Amino acid sequence: MGNWVEIVWIGMCAVSLALGAIHLFVWFKQRTGYFHLLFFALAVSATAFGAFELALMHEWAPERYADILRWAHVPLALWVLSMIGFVHFYFGAGRSWLAWAASGFRLAGLALNFVTGVNVNFLAVSSLEPVAFWGGAVVAGPVGVVNPWAIVPQIGNLILLMFVIDAAITLWRRGGSDARRRAVVVGGSLVACVAAVAGFAALITIGLVHAPTIVMPGVFVIVLAMGYELGWDMIAAAQLATQLRASEQRFRAVVEAVPSAILVIDDRGLISLANQQAETVFGYPRAELIRQPVELLIPERFHGRLSAWRTEWATGPHAQSIAPGRDRVGRRKNGVEFPAEVMLSPLQTEKGPFILASVVDVTERRRLEQATARQRDELAHLSRVALLGELSGSLAHELNQPLTAILSNAQAAQRFLAQSPPRTDKLAEILTDIVKANHRAGSVIVRLRSMLRKEESKRLVLNLNHVVEESLRLLRSDLLARHVTVQSDLAERLPSIEGDRNQLQQVLLNLLMNGCDAMEGQATDRCLTVRTQQTGQATVEVTVSDRGLGIPVADLDRVFDPFVTTKAQGLGLGLTICRSIVEAHGGRLWATNPAQGGATLHCELPATPG
Amino acid sequence: MEERVPTVYLVDDDPDVLAAIGRLIESEGLQVAAFASAQRFLDGFDRRAPGCLVLDLAMPGINGLELQRSLEQEGSLLPIIFLTGRGDIATSVQAMKHGAVDFLTKPVDDTALLAAVHDALAANRAHHRADRERAHIAQALASLTARERQVLEGIAAGRLNKQIAAELGTSEKTIKFHRGNLMRKMGARVAADLVKLAERAGVGSTPAN
Repeated sequence: MGNWVEIVWIGMCAVSLALGAIHLFVWFKQRTGYFHLLFFALAVSATAFGAFELALMHEWAPERYADILRWAHVPLALWVLSMIGFVHFYFGAGRSWLAWAASGFRLAGLALNFVTGVNVNFLAVSSLEPVAFWGGAVVAGPVGVVNPWAIVPQIGNLILLMFVIDAAITLWRRGGSDARRRAVVVGGSLVACVAAVAGFAALITIGLVHAPTIVMPGVFVIVLAMGYELGWDMIAAAQLATQLRASEQRFRAVVEAVPSAILVIDDRGLISLANQQAETVFGYPRAELIRQPVELLIPERFHGRLSAWRTEWATGPHAQSIAPGRDRVGRRKNGVEFPAEVMLSPLQTEKGPFILASVVDVTERRRLEQATARQRDELAHLSRVALLGELSGSLAHELNQPLTAILSNAQAAQRFLAQSPPRTDKLAEILTDIVKANHRAGSVIVRLRSMLRKEESKRLVLNLNHVVEESLRLLRSDLLARHVTVQSDLAERLPSIEGDRNQLQQVLLNLLMNGCDAMEGQATDRCLTVRTQQTGQATVEVTVSDRGLGIPVADLDRVFDPFVTTKAQGLGLGLTICRSIVEAHGGRLWATNPAQGGATLHCELPATPG
Repeated sequence: MEERVPTVYLVDDDPDVLAAIGRLIESEGLQVAAFASAQRFLDGFDRRAPGCLVLDLAMPGINGLELQRSLEQEGSLLPIIFLTGRGDIATSVQAMKHGAVDFLTKPVDDTALLAAVHDALAANRAHHRADRERAHIAQALASLTARERQVLEGIAAGRLNKQIAAELGTSEKTIKFHRGNLMRKMGARVAADLVKLAERAGVGSTPAN
């Protein structure tokens, strides 16, 4: 006959087969992609059905026609089932019970197709009449007795229609441009084609329309729609893969570029990624790092702690609580240990949890820090020596008092003994007093020597009140000579602090002497107030308030700058050094002008925990 | 008149020094009264008793110089020996100007301190004696008659009996009689004593009343 119907039908079959083959191939390559297999079934059954339908259109013998129609139902049922499965599983749309019902009716129809009538559509096909298509194509149209069981597949079609409408609505509601497009393409084609095909088939079957069965175009459109969707997803996946590759390349580039050593460690503690800097820092070529336990890079004595920590990390999902470590120790290939700063962040991947460790070799930084600390200590020492020089009169007095007591006691004893008869009744108490005075002088010397000695800063647990009291004792005679009285208001229960006694005392002495200097010009009201108190959960404060003129507001912070001084003598380094001492102790030193006048210097220090 | 036993007062805020200096002075057989502050001393010391004060310069509250000033205002005769840890020249000059008998630095040697104490006590004793004498003379002067007083003035001015007699318009004999009474009342043995006493009482040089 050689008309266009033949060409079109063969074309539809060929395209369906090609699409099916493509996805079969994809499924072979990617065994987890069952959708491809499902689509293959869809496409192949469509192809087969198209072939049957083409045969029907060219069959003019009623019996043969009935037979072919009966067998055409097999690929059709397969197509319907594949389509339901595809919609349900791939798009995740359509209610299950509708899917089951539609499948059930379709299978029941298929069964009835073989047990009732000549097929499920006709009890008997009486004749075939030529039907003219557009363009002069003439095909066979059946005439016969309708099989009453045809109602079953038709109900099935109705349910199928409901199923695809429901699925389309679901897709539409899911929102997002992607899902909307899918709703229109898939849902629209499904609803339109299923409605058309089912309706048309019903009309033909019940004989209202005299026409050949033309189901294939609808079937084909649906195959195309599904193929389009699947193809679209494959393209998206490919794009995603490209992006992923690009992003991974970027990640690698970034990882290589960061100045710290980066290691990615899996949940078994094996290194799965190391960057250039990691090679440099640890001295291993990358090949010797990958798939090696991270313990390789850590001194043995920390291994226990590491494994305990890893267990804890692995059992609890408190990945966020991985604290950065400032004082970690790393080990290079040559066995040399180095101080490291380590930052850990959890990575959740499909392959399980990983830890991203960023390691910075802080050897140089530590060295600089130590050098700075040493310089600060040296400067503090120099300034302390100068301070003690200023205080020499006061200190001499502190030594002089016990020496006076010793001398006079001893000479009194000599005189008592020189009497006749010698008086010995006072000797015991005199000797006791001499010993006491000697200890007193000794303690001044010890204190003095310790403040003069140049040694590294030594942190001890201290009571701030003691530091204050000791400083006041050292200054006692100076305060008297300068007619300065001191009111001390020391908090009874003060948390202890950790610090260098000499340095903190130096700060206190400086603050007290500055206070005295501030009141030098005034004839009366020379009074310093020293107060200690707990200011926060973990801070204690000592304040020294004078009753001088206060500090000009503009200078409140400037007084801590080096070489800023109001005094004729002095370098103006006292407060600068004090602030660096206090800050090295983790505290703060600042000045205020309280409302009642004068100036107040605040020194806040962290309390020792517990 | 019998002399009271002198007391050496000590004021120092340092208890160790206070006890030691106290013992040293006691070893000399002197009576000691020790005070830990100027205020306590002002509240507690016997203002009529003889003695001296060994005083620390730098003390909280009233300091040494302030106490000296305060005693000066009271008209106290108590000689003061300053004892200081850090004596600067300005302070010592100031202390000496206000009549301190000595200014010693700590630690102080026993001989220096005790010598100063003895000197101070002697000075105090002399002060007290002069005081008593002045009182005695004043009493005697008060017992003189107007004529006897005129005669005394004449003697103090170095005039002879004859000149005084002429001046007063009386006989030399009468003057001799007054003179005898004067000698007795003033407790003088020879005329020279009388002149000395008259001088001490301020008769002649300044108008007396």
